[in-house]
Amino acid sequence: MPAAIETTSLTRRFGDFTAVDNVNLTVEAGQFFGFLGPNGAGKSTTIKMLTGLLAPTSGTIRILGADLTQNSAELKRQIGVVPEGMALFGRLTASEYLRFVGRMYGLDRATTEQRTAELLDFMSLADEQKKLVTDFSHGMQKKLALAAAVIHGPKVLFLDEPFEGVDAIAAGTLKQMLQRMIARGATIFLTSHVLEIVERLCTHIGIIHRGQLVAQGSIEQLRAGVASSGSVPLTLEQIFLEIVGTDRTGNLAATPPEQELSWLS
Amino acid sequence: MAQLDDRAASAPIPSQPAPYQPAQYQPAPAIPAATQLLAIAWMRWRMFANGFRRQAASGKSAGFVLSILLRMILWPILALWVIGPAIGAAFFAWRAIAHHHPERLIPLLAGVAILWQFIAVNGTSMAATLSTFEPASLLRFPLRFGRYLLLRLLLGLLTPSTIVGCLVLFAAALGIGIADSSLAPAAFFVLAIYAALNIFFSRMIAVWLERWLATRRAREIFGALMAFVFIGFQYFNFNRLKFRRPTGHPAHPPTDSWLLNFLNGNYHFLNWLPPGFATNSIVPGHALVRLAQFAALLAWTALFLAAFAFRLHRQFLGEYISEGAPRTTAAASTPRAFPRAPAPTPAGVFNQQLTTNNQQLFSPTIAACLRKEWLYLRGNSNQIVAMLTPLVFVFLFAKGMLARHPSYLLTGAIGYSLLGLMAALYNIFGADGAGVQLYLLAPVRLRDVILSKNIASLALLGAEAVLAWCVVAAVATVPIPLSMQISTFLWVIFMLFANLTLGTLRSIQAPRKISIAQARRMRSPATGKTSGLLVLAILFGSILLQVPVTLICRHFHNPWLAVVIFMPLAAVAVAAYALLLSNADRLILTHRDTFAQELCSD
Repeated sequence: MPAAIETTSLTRRFGDFTAVDNVNLTVEAGQFFGFLGPNGAGKSTTIKMLTGLLAPTSGTIRILGADLTQNSAELKRQIGVVPEGMALFGRLTASEYLRFVGRMYGLDRATTEQRTAELLDFMSLADEQKKLVTDFSHGMQKKLALAAAVIHGPKVLFLDEPFEGVDAIAAGTLKQMLQRMIARGATIFLTSHVLEIVERLCTHIGIIHRGQLVAQGSIEQLRAGVASSGSVPLTLEQIFLEIVGTDRTGNLAATPPEQELSWLS
Repeated sequence: MAQLDDRAASAPIPSQPAPYQPAQYQPAPAIPAATQLLAIAWMRWRMFANGFRRQAASGKSAGFVLSILLRMILWPILALWVIGPAIGAAFFAWRAIAHHHPERLIPLLAGVAILWQFIAVNGTSMAATLSTFEPASLLRFPLRFGRYLLLRLLLGLLTPSTIVGCLVLFAAALGIGIADSSLAPAAFFVLAIYAALNIFFSRMIAVWLERWLATRRAREIFGALMAFVFIGFQYFNFNRLKFRRPTGHPAHPPTDSWLLNFLNGNYHFLNWLPPGFATNSIVPGHALVRLAQFAALLAWTALFLAAFAFRLHRQFLGEYISEGAPRTTAAASTPRAFPRAPAPTPAGVFNQQLTTNNQQLFSPTIAACLRKEWLYLRGNSNQIVAMLTPLVFVFLFAKGMLARHPSYLLTGAIGYSLLGLMAALYNIFGADGAGVQLYLLAPVRLRDVILSKNIASLALLGAEAVLAWCVVAAVATVPIPLSMQISTFLWVIFMLFANLTLGTLRSIQAPRKISIAQARRMRSPATGKTSGLLVLAILFGSILLQVPVTLICRHFHNPWLAVVIFMPLAAVAVAAYALLLSNADRLILTHRDTFAQELCSD
């Protein structure tokens, strides 16, 4: 079976700055993949390229075994995205937005209506029928964006910080939904800065740092690759800091500076 | 969400694919084009309707009624923009054919193209004012490029330039048909193609300009090019061009006026451009020649469409056209060593870093805000283009008969040049977005913040007015009367301060966030429909005030009456502005909720 997501020498440059540098990434079908990295490491740029929103400078992307550039429209039907900034249409109500998205993904009218109702109920947005999306809170918008990303039953789901701004109860519900999608054969590619969530949900991890993929594998594999001082297994946070916290020469690179802001009281 | 917690174990799961499906790409039947196009049409309709519903729901029913009233007043005025040129085009086309001067259709069609592009350039920000939809946001959906191209063409069809241009061409075809019914089928068909050509051309210009102006260097080159064109026209004397007909004597020998030459069809280079090919496809002649001319017109049309489609395709594939990396991919920085500095007082932190030489002239707050406004302006070179473009048009139009009537020219040129720029006065906090919270949190007077923004705006508007004045002075063939110069100065003072007062008031009461992308693409903030129309009415009203004043002066044969009228108006406008400033702190604090809702939300 082909990998759900596969990149070969994926590179993206913005002028002189290389945001993503020669990334070779493989996410097998059915994996819950966590994509980690410090701020500005290239996570969102990678997701944009994987979802066809940004063209790579060089390299190839294969989704479900097919080339993304060659089969852009067809593959977009197989993927769902919660993009950075959510990209909602603020002047629509939640149900109008979901109906629109469903139709854009080619669902028939009856299926769109049924799934819209189910999703609104599931996300606890059913009571906000008259409210425009622009008047939603950040968490509500996040839930709506996630509902829109799954309305067409995607095989691969890309989530850029899906739990940011979502309350704990809603986050629990969303996690449950995502895990059921995995159980049903979907592949999820997730970025988050909350390492506890990633550790709890994801089976496999990729770490990007300064545009380069510096680690990839299951959590056990990553753990095995990092030297541990004691018998207690390392947490993902410790693994992450161990990998990202040192540069190629072995010096500390991402640890807080030693200096003090002496003028702070 | 509490109820969900209770039912977590048996929570209803949205319809998903049945149990286990191997995640493998299997080509599915294509989504019918009608499904997606209808979905987008429905979405646009709902956004439009919800805009009104939101106004009514938020207790702005008075605004809703006002918007209807404004429409009833404005639409007939706007209709004149359509009816006037249409009647003129029909008459001109009829006369050209009926009087056996078909070559005069060439300048007519060239004029339509110029009018079309003129409205397209000037109407972009106005159309964006009433629109909240960004077509590129559709790129994440499974659209094929052909559909995206079609959508981009369809979504802009109801712009003023297309409406005016198409109706004028329809009227011209009608005029040709009335003069010679045998030409009617060809006229309607060819001019329909010519309309398509103009649509493709304006779209092509828009997308390529967006691409070219995406980088700072390109903007600078474009700015320099515009300046070069502007100065170059000063030395490029149309009257010296001797365009002779290939054979025989010209029906209308070249005159001293380039405009008359143009109207007489004495510029034969137009024969090689779409207006010439369109005309020669319509007028009687050898069938093969007409066919060849029509083929050439089609070739031009295809060329513009291809250039538009090429650029759009790059965008479709995910091109990122700005000069820097997206904000999420900031370049990794190396740690810097900071020298230890003595601790400043907390209240001084806000201003200390930013105030330098301006400290003498302005208070620290105003100096800091002015510095910030300057940095914003420096990062938005499109503003320079927006300032230069009207001046070029002023120069082009002033070179004709208007040069002998500098009185009308001066007020018209200044009014037109300031129109677009003054719209920005009605949303002075838009570009700050959530940053406005700093103004509320910092130990500063909000009056100073507003004053600094207004000073920055006045500097821009003042510079534009002076430049327009200089253009008129350079072009005018007779001296501008002193009375006219003084009254125009007072009128400008009145206009600037009246719009500054109303604009600042509106900026406080109904701010709208402007994204950086919008600013880069020279798109105006999306204001509410009512406020958008109201702003247009005020802007036009303050400029058109010159009309009744001029009529009064003519009636009493006393040009100094304009000075007498505008002097108190200017004084009242300045006084109103001063009053507003003195109440600025209270006003902003009263509208803190609006600020948070409109500027700080996602």
